[in-house]
Amino acid sequence: MSLGALFSGCRRIENIDKQKPVIALSIPGAFPRNCDTLYFGEPFDFIALFTDNVELGSLRAYSIDIHHNFDHHSHSTEQLSACSFDAAKQAKNAFLMIQDFSLASGLKEIRVQESVFIPSGNALGLFDEGDYHFFVSLTDKEGWSAKKGLSIKMMHRPKKP
Amino acid sequence: MLFVSVSMFCAFLPAQALYRLSGRVLNSDAQALAGAVIALPSEGRYAGSDAQGLFSIDGLAKGVYPLQISLFGYAPLLDTLRIEGDLSYEARLSVLALSLQEVVVTDHYDELRKKKESLSIETLNADYLRQHRSGSLMKTLDRLPGVSSIDIGAGLSKPVIRGLAFNRVAVVENNIKHEAQEWGADHGLEIDQYAVDRVEVIKGPASLMYGSDAIGGVVDMKSESPPQDKTLGGSLELSAKSNNDFIGAFAALYARKNSFFANLRASLLNYGDYKVPTDSVDIYSYRAPLHERRLRNTAGKEHNLHLSFGVMGELFQSRFYVSSTNARAGFFANAHGLEPRNVDTRLHDASNRDIQDPRQNVSHLKLINTSHYRLGSMKFESNLGFQRNFRQEWSPYVSHGYMPALFPDSLSFPADLERQFDKTVVSGSLKFFYDDAEKLSIRLGLSGDYQKNRIDGRGFIIPAYRQVGFGTYGFAKYSLSENSLIQVGLRYDFSRIATRAYQDWFPSPVNTDGLTELRYLQRAQAIDRSFSNLSWSLGYNLNRERWSFKGNAGKSFRVPIAKELAANGVNYHHFSYEVGDAALSPEISYQLDGGVDYASKNLAIGLSPFLNYFSNYIYLNPTAEHDRQYGNGNQVYRYEQSRVLRYGGEMHAHYQLFKHLQLGIIAEYVYSEQLSGAKKGFTLPFSPPLSAIFNVKYRRAELACFEQFYFTLDLRMTAAQTLVVPPEEPTAAYQVVDVGLGGNLNWMKQKISFMLQLQNLFDKKYFNHTSYYRLINVPEPGRNLVLSISLPFAGKMK
Repeated sequence: MSLGALFSGCRRIENIDKQKPVIALSIPGAFPRNCDTLYFGEPFDFIALFTDNVELGSLRAYSIDIHHNFDHHSHSTEQLSACSFDAAKQAKNAFLMIQDFSLASGLKEIRVQESVFIPSGNALGLFDEGDYHFFVSLTDKEGWSAKKGLSIKMMHRPKKP
Repeated sequence: MLFVSVSMFCAFLPAQALYRLSGRVLNSDAQALAGAVIALPSEGRYAGSDAQGLFSIDGLAKGVYPLQISLFGYAPLLDTLRIEGDLSYEARLSVLALSLQEVVVTDHYDELRKKKESLSIETLNADYLRQHRSGSLMKTLDRLPGVSSIDIGAGLSKPVIRGLAFNRVAVVENNIKHEAQEWGADHGLEIDQYAVDRVEVIKGPASLMYGSDAIGGVVDMKSESPPQDKTLGGSLELSAKSNNDFIGAFAALYARKNSFFANLRASLLNYGDYKVPTDSVDIYSYRAPLHERRLRNTAGKEHNLHLSFGVMGELFQSRFYVSSTNARAGFFANAHGLEPRNVDTRLHDASNRDIQDPRQNVSHLKLINTSHYRLGSMKFESNLGFQRNFRQEWSPYVSHGYMPALFPDSLSFPADLERQFDKTVVSGSLKFFYDDAEKLSIRLGLSGDYQKNRIDGRGFIIPAYRQVGFGTYGFAKYSLSENSLIQVGLRYDFSRIATRAYQDWFPSPVNTDGLTELRYLQRAQAIDRSFSNLSWSLGYNLNRERWSFKGNAGKSFRVPIAKELAANGVNYHHFSYEVGDAALSPEISYQLDGGVDYASKNLAIGLSPFLNYFSNYIYLNPTAEHDRQYGNGNQVYRYEQSRVLRYGGEMHAHYQLFKHLQLGIIAEYVYSEQLSGAKKGFTLPFSPPLSAIFNVKYRRAELACFEQFYFTLDLRMTAAQTLVVPPEEPTAAYQVVDVGLGGNLNWMKQKISFMLQLQNLFDKKYFNHTSYYRLINVPEPGRNLVLSISLPFAGKMK
């Protein structure tokens, strides 16, 4: 133990960032929230609050990943109470989106509002409806990373009669 | 209390007369020899000679015993004793050239070895390994000062020496370096802990003797030395652990007639999911409830076979080792790697012994020959080894990145095969020893290896590669006086690595000039690089009666591995996109080592500080960027190099309070800091915190009907680790208590050796900073009762 005392005496004063950034998906107006529904063929606004004690990352500092959860492999990191899931099923033409976004440099806090368009289908036809994951990853300048995952539903908007 | 219960137990055993063997060890000039090891190998009994050359071994039943007396630098003496009453024996030893292989290892031998090496060394014998046996060999070594382990659950771990691990620690078994996929944090070490009789740990850069990967240290393991002539015997051992319902059976057989000897060992282990003292685990704020406090799907099994045979003459000895280790172990199902998973709890919780996906299957085959030939004060040695390491990691297919949601059936690998590595290695060395038995000893060596690594499966992390290496070194020890010696070494290495290109098996959308098209992305380019390096070391030892001092300065190096050069893909175990750098230079490390030891009859104290500087430590740096090019949205980690300063040390103190009671303290500390680069001011990943073990040991040569009885209590105190680097979290301090007892007893004529341990006595919930599962908040295993019973048997041949 005395060994530690001996060495800690010559330990350099540290001035390094030791905190992760924070993704707040529960601020007023935040979207989507756990169990929300996104609709194919429409844009939606991703709204969240990002903060960091020193400085958020800038170039490609956050990413959004939407992938199917038909097999219920869920990484729900937001809420303990699960949403109601549809029955597990095989993917036929599951929607997949992975996109990264940049922030202005030098920020400590920002309420992001990013419009994201979701196509209704591809060459194979319409995308599968059902349970999806909405996964957000955010870094700060130092490389600390925060992750939040939501369970969402993705549906085709019923056509008006 | 303990004594009463022990005595009561003994009432059931038949009484037997016991005798004493005592005697003296002298050199050819009839001068007393201290520190000789007197062994009755069939009984597992050892004694050391004191300053007057005197020794004694008590508690011997009537019978015939092979006797073996050895001392560093002397020819071993072999004899057969007939014990019918107390016996007095005088041994004369003659001087011999330096030979490590034939010396039976005990504490006394270890002390001598330490005095002759200028690097910090810890040696362990079979008794120690058995008394402290844990889930894996490396976990057992964890108790040593300066040694810790990176653990993956209850049965897999890899060694950490003074904070360095993975490819910075060389593991050597029977003179051949163990080669597997060392880079993986979730890979264990393919070594059967039941087949290891002696372990030597070199703390500090040992590239000089062991080559590139020994930059942080070496774990050198040896099997038992050949049995005595005209003997046969063996042992049967059964072991059980309560925490993960472990059962293990281990059998050994040996025989020798004239120059021929053989040794066969087999072990069979089977264990269930291990228990942690918590009802749920928080994985990135996702709470995974546990069933019966068990870590879902961490069950496993192992079967291992070892055969060793050879000839042993006065001048020539040649020995073959054939071994096959096979393990199948599950990964914690709620977090494959570090990614939280929603799991089929019905499937996993139905049985805690089944091994479902995600899991790993690993088999390791070794063929080794080691031979030596003596000629006067010279010795020639050759070692040749072939190894094949075959590893598969299975997990249910989940499309990540732009993998198709439906797995195509046109591929050469099954959907659920996540990664596969098939590595074959041929390696060997030639050594020449010279010892004039007075002042000078010289060692010259040549070593070479060829490695081929093939990959398969749906995930890409390291490329296929081929690698050749060649090294040559010279090492000399010269006695300046009776008490001091100086040692000098120089080594030259050359190696070449050629990695293969890798292309995805699935197309990803690529945006060029506003047009999106699907392309099979090339993850890795072919790389062909050569490295050469000169390393050296200079050491000094001074032994003054009760004091011994040592100092060593050295330069070591490590060649970048394929993953560091060519990784370019998502590590699905870690939410990271890892990018290698084909231009990395070999790591160079300079280290100063010191050591002071004091030993008297009742007190032993040792201190071993070190100071270490890396001019270009290779480090996987988490950047602020997410990957776009390959469309996976994961945080990008890049291999970079930085200057690193590390210092620290270990201390131990042992005090013989009463005749039978010993107190001990073992403590270790490492500080690391990156002096340059993106993470300037940060520490290195997996930095072990300051820790100490306070130990009480009660030992009796005889206690009621027990022989070699011991009771031991360890209080482990570990400080908080607040020095972390992304993505690590600080880890709180903890205290854990372990107790153990054991000994031998005689039932009719059969010796029964038993060991009982209670690990984590108070079922404390704590986190180990160097555990792989630490990042997802999985605590260490809860209370664990370990019982092991061994039945040795021995006979004579005509």
